Amino acid sequence: MTLAPRWRKVVRDLAEHPVRCALAVLAMTAGAFGVGTILTSYTILTRELKATYDGTIPASAVLTVEHLDDAALAAVRALPDVAEAESRPAIYARARLANGDARAMTLFVMDGNRIDRIASSDCGGKAIADCLAALRPDEILVERSSMSVAHAAVGDRIVMKTSDGTERSLRIAGTVHAAGLAPGWMDHHVAAFANPRSLQHARGGRLLVVVRGDRLDESHIRVVASDVRALLARRGLNVVDIEIPRPGRHPHADQMATFLFLLGCFGVLALALSAVLVATMIHALLTEQLRQVGVMKALGATTTQIAALYLVQVSLLACAALILGMPLGFAAGRAYTAFAANMLNATVASHAVPAWAIAAQIAAGLLVPLLVAAGPVLHASRISVHDALANDAGRRAFGASAFDRLLARIAWLPRPLMLSLRTAFRRRGRLALTVATLAAGGAVFVTTLDAAAAWRRVLAEEGEARRYDLDVRLAEPRPIAELANALARVPEVAHAEYWTESVARLPRVVKTPVRVRVHGLDDEHALLVRPQVPTSLLALPLLQGRWLRAGDRGVAVVNQSLLARVPPLRLGDPLRLRVDGRDVSLRLVGVVKELAPIPAVYTTEAPPPVATRSIRIVTRAHDVATRRAAARAIERVLPRVTSVQSLADTRQAFADHLVIINTALLLAATLVLLVGTLGLASTMALSVVERTRELGIMGSLGATPNALARDVVLQGVVISALSWCVALAFAVPLTLFVNATTGRMFIGAPLPFVVAPAGALGWLALVLILGALASLQPAWRASQLTIREALAYE
Amino acid sequence: MITLRGVTKQYATPAGAFAALRGVDLDITAGEFVAIVGKSGSGKSTLLNMIGGIDRPSSGSVAVGGTAIESLAPNALATWRGRSVGFVFQFFQLLPTLTVAENVMLPLDFSGALPEKQRRARAAQLLERLGVAEQAAKLPSALSGGQQQRVAIARALANDPPLLLADEPTGNLDSATSADIFHLFRELAFGGRTVVVVTHERDVDTGVSRTVRIVDGSVTR
Repeated sequence: MTLAPRWRKVVRDLAEHPVRCALAVLAMTAGAFGVGTILTSYTILTRELKATYDGTIPASAVLTVEHLDDAALAAVRALPDVAEAESRPAIYARARLANGDARAMTLFVMDGNRIDRIASSDCGGKAIADCLAALRPDEILVERSSMSVAHAAVGDRIVMKTSDGTERSLRIAGTVHAAGLAPGWMDHHVAAFANPRSLQHARGGRLLVVVRGDRLDESHIRVVASDVRALLARRGLNVVDIEIPRPGRHPHADQMATFLFLLGCFGVLALALSAVLVATMIHALLTEQLRQVGVMKALGATTTQIAALYLVQVSLLACAALILGMPLGFAAGRAYTAFAANMLNATVASHAVPAWAIAAQIAAGLLVPLLVAAGPVLHASRISVHDALANDAGRRAFGASAFDRLLARIAWLPRPLMLSLRTAFRRRGRLALTVATLAAGGAVFVTTLDAAAAWRRVLAEEGEARRYDLDVRLAEPRPIAELANALARVPEVAHAEYWTESVARLPRVVKTPVRVRVHGLDDEHALLVRPQVPTSLLALPLLQGRWLRAGDRGVAVVNQSLLARVPPLRLGDPLRLRVDGRDVSLRLVGVVKELAPIPAVYTTEAPPPVATRSIRIVTRAHDVATRRAAARAIERVLPRVTSVQSLADTRQAFADHLVIINTALLLAATLVLLVGTLGLASTMALSVVERTRELGIMGSLGATPNALARDVVLQGVVISALSWCVALAFAVPLTLFVNATTGRMFIGAPLPFVVAPAGALGWLALVLILGALASLQPAWRASQLTIREALAYE
Repeated sequence: MITLRGVTKQYATPAGAFAALRGVDLDITAGEFVAIVGKSGSGKSTLLNMIGGIDRPSSGSVAVGGTAIESLAPNALATWRGRSVGFVFQFFQLLPTLTVAENVMLPLDFSGALPEKQRRARAAQLLERLGVAEQAAKLPSALSGGQQQRVAIARALANDPPLLLADEPTGNLDSATSADIFHLFRELAFGGRTVVVVTHERDVDTGVSRTVRIVDGSVTR
């Protein structure tokens, strides 16, 4: 059958304006792409992350037990509420790499693989059980994400140096995937696995328990854990610590949720902006078609018939956009999923997108354009024939408002700029939408750079606050005189301070914030640090009160992280702690800001300590080579070093955690930017269409084609410049939001507001270039118009 | 056929209210060929729009073929217009993306008057009658002004309306073509159709049955 003339008109009108159709389709594609990307990554990541994590059968509780024996383990397994129990000793050691560097290393002894399961990654094609069983006494398996930290390949050897000073050379027999662990490259840490035969001496240590019943009920887990502790106590075994990871939650689930939330926000923003763009385009299209609407109505078309014509037209465009946007959205979503999975050390078993997500994408892709088009379409199809056929149909005369007259008074600008400014303000609604869309892209762009600058500031402040290069820990306290003598032999060491540290327990009265790991059952643990006072190595930014002074007795300064986890404390309040089995009460005199989310208490010590296991070192120079040389020498000259942490490395590890957030932000900025540029391009094209007659008149008055083209480009640049100002205003609340969200997640406090000049200036340059580029095609069109065509334009 | 009683029309303009029509009374009987003449801005197009239901009077009544125009709701008015009135415009107003034949079929499409298969035949017949049958498959931009106006007349006749309204149909045509077009209107009027044409004074001698002169919104005798 043949199409009725009116439907042919729909199709031919689309074909008549390929550029405009392409712009509209691209605008809708951007929305469909945004929604597709978000839905794809959201559905795959949440499902796969949970599946990967649940598949490891995560431990409900991890108990640190002295001298755990097989009989005790059997007794724990016999408890009615215990589903699984496994001994998983861990050796915390140093890995000496082939290049001479040392890294923190944890070697787990796999006495079974039923809890916190690991899977084979590269183990000669063997299953994990066979792979573990086949290990020879000097062989280990390394977590796949730790391989880059270890600078090693399968078959290489690394030297493990334990805290008692013994060194063993171990061969890497293969790699495994431990989905429950954070990626090694992120924590600059080597995780390795061995079987009990290969490490006979490593008995006792950690007891992993999986509860029977509701594994996600934390209070149930706490009860079971305390039952296990009671049982072990009856058998004379001392439980040093109980850790209850948050049930059912991947260690990085919150990080994941935060960035998915951010990504989701921007997906919605992209959809909203593309909807705005579609509304603008449809409105403009209808304005141009008003005369034809009038003719059709004069020929007897009803409002419904007219509305149907244009809604079908929009649907056709939306379908085209879906056909383009959906595969792109899936592809981007999957690429981002792969990236995020790598970041979170998860394996994506299936990239399948659930049917509801596809349905939601189609619905959003079709309904959103139709909904936003409905208003302008109804408005246009209800217009009376008389109004539609009037010469000034749909146009507002410039000069009708006070604002126009104000603009008209700006006569001191160069003429082309003045004209561009007035032209830009002629269609105020469309101008507002274009500027807003472009500004939204700019705001996200500026926010990305501002947030990155905020992190750099935080890390730089941390560098300012901790003025030492290396943080050295020993296995046990040694006389300070002996340590000083040993360090005097290391030429790279410029200065050393000997602090003491203990673990303090304090009552945890309030419910802890959700992200806190529950150490023990009833107490919050904090690091109690007694720095040298006064010290030249620590200058933490003060939030309240003052820092420690020489001669202080019984006072404490805490960090904001501690303050957040204990009942409300004010300056002058007593802070009650339990340290080394004794109750201590300190008076709070200050609160400091620290990057690390570990709760810490700083206090003084009298008399000064004679022995310590904690040394802060300033190296002679602060470059990587010097620090590395110093670290190697220190491992050599000091007895039983358990860790030498370079602060630069710590800061780098921190920065690595932020990659995922910055990537999400950049992706969002690109997406919104794309939509914004499309908006500008379409505005410019429409403006030229509308101004055709006027451009012709200018031509007849002697304007050269180049001058006309320059006017159009200038108009684009004026709009871009306007949007830049608005973008800066939008960027402030957006940056505050992102800084608050990411800051709370990583350091427990909002990030400082930092303006990155590169963000504002870079965006200005970018938006001006985009503005000029977006108006090139319309400008070219304007310059090609002959005066006769332009004046005849209907 | 057409009865106007006390029709006024006022427009709000930035320069204040403007009266386009001031108490017009007019009767046109079926089969008349009437020319409405007057200067630019005298209100002649407004008067035509009132008759065709394109515009509504500020006060007064307009009845066409027994239908009180001002009482119809917008959709009912459109349907009535499609079946009862054929419009011819000064700038032809053919839809640029439809072929000549499709332009003629469009009113049939909106009114649903004929079965789909007969619409093309009807269009071909009308184009034949107006002497532009060879142009049927072309787009309007490929036609001369006179040809476009013939197509526009064919389109106006698609639903076989009893009333044909033309707003300066020859304003954009040379004098020979204009004479042809007026000749066509006269034939249509002879055939029993009512034809009302807004035009300039110079065309008045082209055989109309009556001339209605309008000055400053009022009909003069």
